Amino acid sequence: MAQYMTTHGMAAKGVAFSAPEERSIQLRNVTKRFGGVTALNGINIDFAPQKINVLLGLSGSGKSTLLRQINGLHKPTSGEVITLGTDVHTAGAGRLRKLRRNVGMIFQHFHLVESMSVLENVCTGKLGSLGGPRLGLFSYPRAVKEQAMEQLARVGLADKAFQRADALSGGQMQRVAIARALIQEPRVLLADEPVAALDPVSSATVMTLIGNIAKEDNLTVVCSLHQVELALEFSDRIIGLRGGELVMDRESHSLSLKEAHEIYEAVAVVSETELAQETSELAAVHQS
Amino acid sequence: MTATMERPAQPPRTSVLPPVPKRPVPNPHVVAVWGIMIMLLGGGAWSLWELEVTPANVFGHFDNAARFIERAFPLNWPPLSELLAMTAETLGIVFLATGFSVFVSTPIAIMAAASTTSGRFSWTVSRLVIIFCRAVPDLVFAIILFRLFGLGALTGILAMGISSIGMIGKLYADAIEELDRGPSEAVEAAGGGRWQWILSTVIPQLIPQMIATGLHRYDINLRTSVILGYVGVPGIGYYLSGALETMQWQRGMALALWVLMLCIVVELISMGIRAAIMSPSSGDRSFLGLIKAADRSGWATHEPVRTRSGAVRVSPPWTGARWMRFGGIGILVVLLVASLIASNIRWEQIPRGVERFIPTISEFIPGTQGRFVDYWLPALIETVQMGLAATLLGLVLALPVGAMAARNVAPTPTVALCFRIFIVVNRAIPELILAIVLLVILGFGPVPGVLALAFGTTGLFSKLFADSIEETDVRVQNALRAGGATRIQVFFGSTLRQVAPAMVAHIMYQVDNNVRNSTLLGIVGAGGIGYWLMQTQAQLAYDVLSFLILSVLLIVIVLEAIAVYIRNVIR
Ligand SMILES: Nc1ncnc2c1ncn2[C@@H]1O[C@H](COP(=O)(O)OP(=O)(O)O)[C@@H](O)[C@H]1O
Ligand SMILES: [Mg+2]
Repeated sequence: MAQYMTTHGMAAKGVAFSAPEERSIQLRNVTKRFGGVTALNGINIDFAPQKINVLLGLSGSGKSTLLRQINGLHKPTSGEVITLGTDVHTAGAGRLRKLRRNVGMIFQHFHLVESMSVLENVCTGKLGSLGGPRLGLFSYPRAVKEQAMEQLARVGLADKAFQRADALSGGQMQRVAIARALIQEPRVLLADEPVAALDPVSSATVMTLIGNIAKEDNLTVVCSLHQVELALEFSDRIIGLRGGELVMDRESHSLSLKEAHEIYEAVAVVSETELAQETSELAAVHQS
Repeated sequence: MTATMERPAQPPRTSVLPPVPKRPVPNPHVVAVWGIMIMLLGGGAWSLWELEVTPANVFGHFDNAARFIERAFPLNWPPLSELLAMTAETLGIVFLATGFSVFVSTPIAIMAAASTTSGRFSWTVSRLVIIFCRAVPDLVFAIILFRLFGLGALTGILAMGISSIGMIGKLYADAIEELDRGPSEAVEAAGGGRWQWILSTVIPQLIPQMIATGLHRYDINLRTSVILGYVGVPGIGYYLSGALETMQWQRGMALALWVLMLCIVVELISMGIRAAIMSPSSGDRSFLGLIKAADRSGWATHEPVRTRSGAVRVSPPWTGARWMRFGGIGILVVLLVASLIASNIRWEQIPRGVERFIPTISEFIPGTQGRFVDYWLPALIETVQMGLAATLLGLVLALPVGAMAARNVAPTPTVALCFRIFIVVNRAIPELILAIVLLVILGFGPVPGVLALAFGTTGLFSKLFADSIEETDVRVQNALRAGGATRIQVFFGSTLRQVAPAMVAHIMYQVDNNVRNSTLLGIVGAGGIGYWLMQTQAQLAYDVLSFLILSVLLIVIVLEAIAVYIRNVIR
């Protein structure tokens, strides 16, 4: 284990950062519309490097849309998104792919291929830096598979490497997804409600893991959540979104839990439709 | 806030409606669908009349049947080695055709699926290819390719292979669209390119569906290959057509029986494999809950397994599942080699065919030789009539059969079981074999063709009836029955009405299918345009042949368009 950590730590530290903005994410006046729906409205945020930032907001508040601006899965309707020095809006396909290699992403529903082995799932995270398409575990270079094993060891799942992904629990799947993001050796980690589909114990496990890894690898983390307690415990900074607008931006250490709740509730003055949406989403999560 | 809380959540537009609901205006599209249905069924009745499918014509041939049995028995089996050789040839050709189609359909389906297509242009082109391959009957491909490549396995492989793209490509594209997009998005977010995420996330998820669809199509192609024997594709069908053309009934019936058995065995095997594939790892799924429950307690660091030399082990252990996977791949390779050997492909036909491609096109410039009104038009009409007549006849026969096969309508469970067995057996019998037997008994002409198609249609509709009757609302039926309605009244008053939308879609589908198949049956002597396709091919009248092919295509496309329209209205 120690051996893996040093090699990995060296890789992360070995990256040279010429200018501070190279490592940060800047959103300038970002607006994103889907047809008539305004998902983000004039958002201005600077994410400082090596910090854990939490996006707090109800469902439909624009968290996922904001995260997808950062790695260019969605492009802004207007405004500017600069991630690690790359202007996402104007970048061509090749430039964007290069950027994405440095930006890991994990998702609420893990997004693993369930019929594939855990190891192969992790290897797919490396595709961005590999030359051509791959089909089957045997088609990856040995070095990639060894890296995948290292990352699985970091998330505590090396012994599950050869199992099918659907044989794992939800918490374990999310840890595999984290390993898949880490094999990229990213500088930024985006997490879209990583624990919304998990029970409280697994949620804490996954959030702790993300926190530890972020420190070890000096990652800039942008993570969306909708639990105030988790946000306060694991973040350096909390950003509140509501209806696509930025409504709160505070350093976490300056907030007490009570204060945070008050602000969040003020932020999230619940309209009836939002409440209905939230309840139905929660019900769906509980069912699955 | 309180004011809004009191009212139950209701869409605001209800308040705009006048208090007394108006009589609903009939939707013109629904009216149109009813019109089409009435026309199709009316056309069916007219066709039955015109083609003289009368009880006298059907049952008045008992003496023929007796004579047929006399002539057909004892069956004259070819020597075992010969029988096995032709069987291997057929199975090999069908394997290569299906394999070819699976191989070609996969990239086409990737282009044709909204989630994986590279753009509007490739989407349109691939969808057009799929529609084209589906619309053109196998036989037409065979006739055209025959001109290019001549007698031999290659013509059959390519004809069935290309034609199968229509079904396989469509089913693959649909399957891709239904896949979970999540893993693909994850690879995309990690900087993976389009072909990278397609091969690493789409294909692995698609593989079970790919194999199942391929197996299903293998069954269909096996049946088709027998018909293609009539236009010179080698295998059992070739010998069967030869035997029947030279009136060797005893040999012909032996081969027909052999085909029947082969179809049933292959279908059973393919059904078994499909069932096994489509429910993978169901064994450990039942334990999944337990595993999940046991794993709630945090995470520990687990060291990766190391090999004896101290390197991290990165190759999976040889578990049962891995052996199965390798065994499956091994069997596929063996089957591929065996098929290549058994089908006796003459490879030198490929360059020859390519060379002939351009000259052949000029031969195929359509023309009617001035016999459109006298010959081709009546033949086209007859083919459509056969399809309509068979659909109506099958539908009428299916009403009682389906009702009796439904457990909640049949008088006793045993009766239901017997009818269910009839339906299963019915669906296993290739229409071609039935048509051949009926042709021998009833003589050449459309009547045996209509009966053979009607038989298959009955099986399909009765299954549909029986299944939907068992699913329909029992409470409505009980209410009616409590009101003193008879079984028949309940059936027509309630059950049939509930089944109606599914019925309409299936009737259209069957008309479409039966018109295509009546073209095929024309080749074995059941009249219609199929007969002339054969004749013009034999006489090298390619201008007429191409005209007839285009006419068939036009009919099929019109029917297909109507079917699409109806499906859209019903949905
Ligand atoms: N692909 C899309 N097409 C259309 N509307 C979208 C799409 N993605 C998000 N939206 C809309 O944008 C708004 C913000 O959505 P989202 O970013 O997913 O919110 P959150 O992640 O906070 O739940 C919602 O109103 C949603 O309906
Ligand atoms: Mg979201």
